[in-house]
Amino acid sequence: MVQRNVLKGLFFLGICLFSPLTLSPVLAQEPFYKGKTVTIVVGTKAGDVYDLYARLMAQHMPKYIPGNPNIIVQNMPGAASLITANHVNNVAKPDGLTIGAIYNALYFDQLIGRTEVKFDWSKFGWIGSPVTSNHLLYMRADSPYKTMDDVRKASEPPKCGATGTTSTAYWVPKLLEDVIGTKFNVVMGYQAGQDIDLAVERGEVVCRAFTITAFFAREPFHTWRKNAFVRVIFQTGKKRDPKLPDAPTIHELMNRYKATEGGRRLATLSLAAGDFGRPYVVPPGTPADRLKILREAFAKVVNSPDAKGDAEKKKLQIDPTSGEELETLAKEVISQPPETVQRMKKMLGKK
Amino acid sequence: MLDPFISGFWQVLAWPAFGYLLIGITVGFFVGLLPGLGGLATLALMLPFSYTIKQPVEAFCFLLGMLAVTGTTGDITSILFGIPGEGSSAALILDGYPMSKKGEAGRALGAAITSSVVGATIGAFSLAISIPIMRPLVLLFGSPELFIIAIMGITFIGTLSGPSLVKGLLAGGIGLMLAAIGVDPQTGALRYTFGSLYLWDRLDIIPVTVGLFAIPEIVDLAVRGTSISEKPKEKLTGVMEGVKDTFRHFWLVMRCSLIGVYFGVLPVLGANVAQWMAYGHAVQGLKDRTQAGKGVIEGVLGPGAANNSTRGGDLIPTVAFGIPGSGAMALLLGALLIVGLQPGPEMLKTRLDVTFAMVWILIIANLIVAAVCFLILNQLAALTFIRGGLLIPFLLLLVFIGSFTANNSLNDLVVTLIFGVMGYYMVLQGWPRPPLILGLILGKIAENYLWISTAAYGAKWLVFPSVISLIVLTVVIIAYPTIKERRGKAKYERPDDVM
Repeated sequence: MVQRNVLKGLFFLGICLFSPLTLSPVLAQEPFYKGKTVTIVVGTKAGDVYDLYARLMAQHMPKYIPGNPNIIVQNMPGAASLITANHVNNVAKPDGLTIGAIYNALYFDQLIGRTEVKFDWSKFGWIGSPVTSNHLLYMRADSPYKTMDDVRKASEPPKCGATGTTSTAYWVPKLLEDVIGTKFNVVMGYQAGQDIDLAVERGEVVCRAFTITAFFAREPFHTWRKNAFVRVIFQTGKKRDPKLPDAPTIHELMNRYKATEGGRRLATLSLAAGDFGRPYVVPPGTPADRLKILREAFAKVVNSPDAKGDAEKKKLQIDPTSGEELETLAKEVISQPPETVQRMKKMLGKK
Repeated sequence: MLDPFISGFWQVLAWPAFGYLLIGITVGFFVGLLPGLGGLATLALMLPFSYTIKQPVEAFCFLLGMLAVTGTTGDITSILFGIPGEGSSAALILDGYPMSKKGEAGRALGAAITSSVVGATIGAFSLAISIPIMRPLVLLFGSPELFIIAIMGITFIGTLSGPSLVKGLLAGGIGLMLAAIGVDPQTGALRYTFGSLYLWDRLDIIPVTVGLFAIPEIVDLAVRGTSISEKPKEKLTGVMEGVKDTFRHFWLVMRCSLIGVYFGVLPVLGANVAQWMAYGHAVQGLKDRTQAGKGVIEGVLGPGAANNSTRGGDLIPTVAFGIPGSGAMALLLGALLIVGLQPGPEMLKTRLDVTFAMVWILIIANLIVAAVCFLILNQLAALTFIRGGLLIPFLLLLVFIGSFTANNSLNDLVVTLIFGVMGYYMVLQGWPRPPLILGLILGKIAENYLWISTAAYGAKWLVFPSVISLIVLTVVIIAYPTIKERRGKAKYERPDDVM
């Protein structure tokens, strides 16, 4: 009798011990994200374009994630989103509940060896980018520089406005200097892009490099284009943008001016920033299945008519790059030969 | 010109535009009252709500209406508690809060709100009047001119120093030094960042201002152990007195409003600088300058008018070029695009009525909020008679939430605390605080524009006629009070001489 009870006890004990295993398929059916909150940490203040895209994602992504989690946006501005990138890498748990929205050119800082960089660009889990941001350089039409040829031959280089050494407006002209030998005098210290535009109106500076999207999205550029106040003398995409059929790409220019192999490598390396667009990342070590869920949800959002319509209303362009592509690209940009890195340091004014 | 002017007025009053205006005002009312939480951050948060609004004027009623009143209600917090309700209301603490301590909160509030309405109206009309000359007006100020104007602002440190000029100059110098913290835009060099990424973007003005001004007042309140008002509660009759003060000093209010408009038009400078200039101007004209900071009504009227009139000035470059004059305007511009309107020369031709609607929104929003304020002013002023012990926890909460909203970073709180301690010692030792803030704001601006001017023009900009005339003007502004004082003295003393 006693023995029987012992057996019975063991039997139930066994059931108890194994029950988690038997229950686990049931648990797996309960999606991980159910009842959870995902935070998108944005490296800019509220209202910035990075922030607008992130809020668009936060609104549309939950439908496409099994378990329909809440997604909230948290702004963590500062140091050109370096603070956010460091936070995502070191502080956030790799549990798939924190997504970082970071600047596309942060890998420059890693490459040139800034000690403040506390992440490895190639180790992030890449979710994707909703948009590719290629750049252009506009030049006041009444300046003597009609084409890149004029800039190359000019005795006095044109003055381009920029905010600081980390901005596109700074490194794009510097890249041209290195790769095809055009000289620019980059005037720095403006507070924001719009201050440069105003300075161009006044004639204080005559050129500025920035994104093609913005050039077609708002004033003063509509008026400028209509009145032919400025002319676009160059663009960074692989092909000419249909909206800019007359502006040569950097690749055409490199061919024309017989750029060296090293120069080309620098160009590819720097311009990859445009392909990173406005990327979303998760901390290194995030479980692959959760990264996969987020990637799939991201892909569905950028293809859904709903989200696209919403984006169009907010004047946000959708031209996505997948997480897999970004992952490959991230590994590529980080594994550069020392000469190229050296050239990049020089381009960014570092010794 | 007259048709769109009238049409704009009716469009603002039409339904549902007026309803949106009321919502905007309500939101702006509380945002202004809460320290730290500023018009800019709120605009960013409210922007998505405006996406559903189809008509430009309606969207503007909501957003601009909200923005227009934050300056007005921000003044209230500054006066009542000595905590800047908005970054641009800090100057009102200097004389407004001492008035509250003297039991004159009602009068100070009445004056601040009336001068705000006057300022907003002047700002709005300046916007309307300047429509034909907007473009040349904005283009007048290049980087060299802005540099000299920043220097002109720095010279106001002398005026804001109070009794001890040496301490004032030193505080201003400390402010200028603090302005150097961060990434240098020229070379990307890191200055005084001590390995902290937070300091890359320079010190944020909100936590510094809140710490420097609010913490000492709260500590002081705790030490005194009384209510904010040191006088016992009597019947509050001061509100109308404040209204009358505005008209007694009408020309001062007008001049300070114009200072506000002027700084609004200039890119980058804006209300944060204008308030101090206006305050400096107001106390400069005092018969007895030693009274400044002890609760003189002029010190309330000046910045009260200026920080509201900047909004009108701010809109000028935005409307003229489609180039926003400030962060808030950049967001507003975004909202305009969404409703399918492109500000800029084109809009002035095709939708002039919208521009005039903006003028009306600025005026009407401020009138409504002033009316509401007058209804509740007595209750608000009564807050200064509540025992300090009950108020302090609430005020501290507001202070820290306010500074945290600057960057959503714990470092904001650290900065607030550091400057709080510093502010407390400055008060104890009789050091003036405004020069420090002014130095911090203008140091960065002056540095950047000096670099830009030199990079763009070499040394040639030093002989630009506009630069020379601004230098002359600066010298006159510095010298004028001294000359006036001497002359006044001379007249006064002459009889003695004769005798």
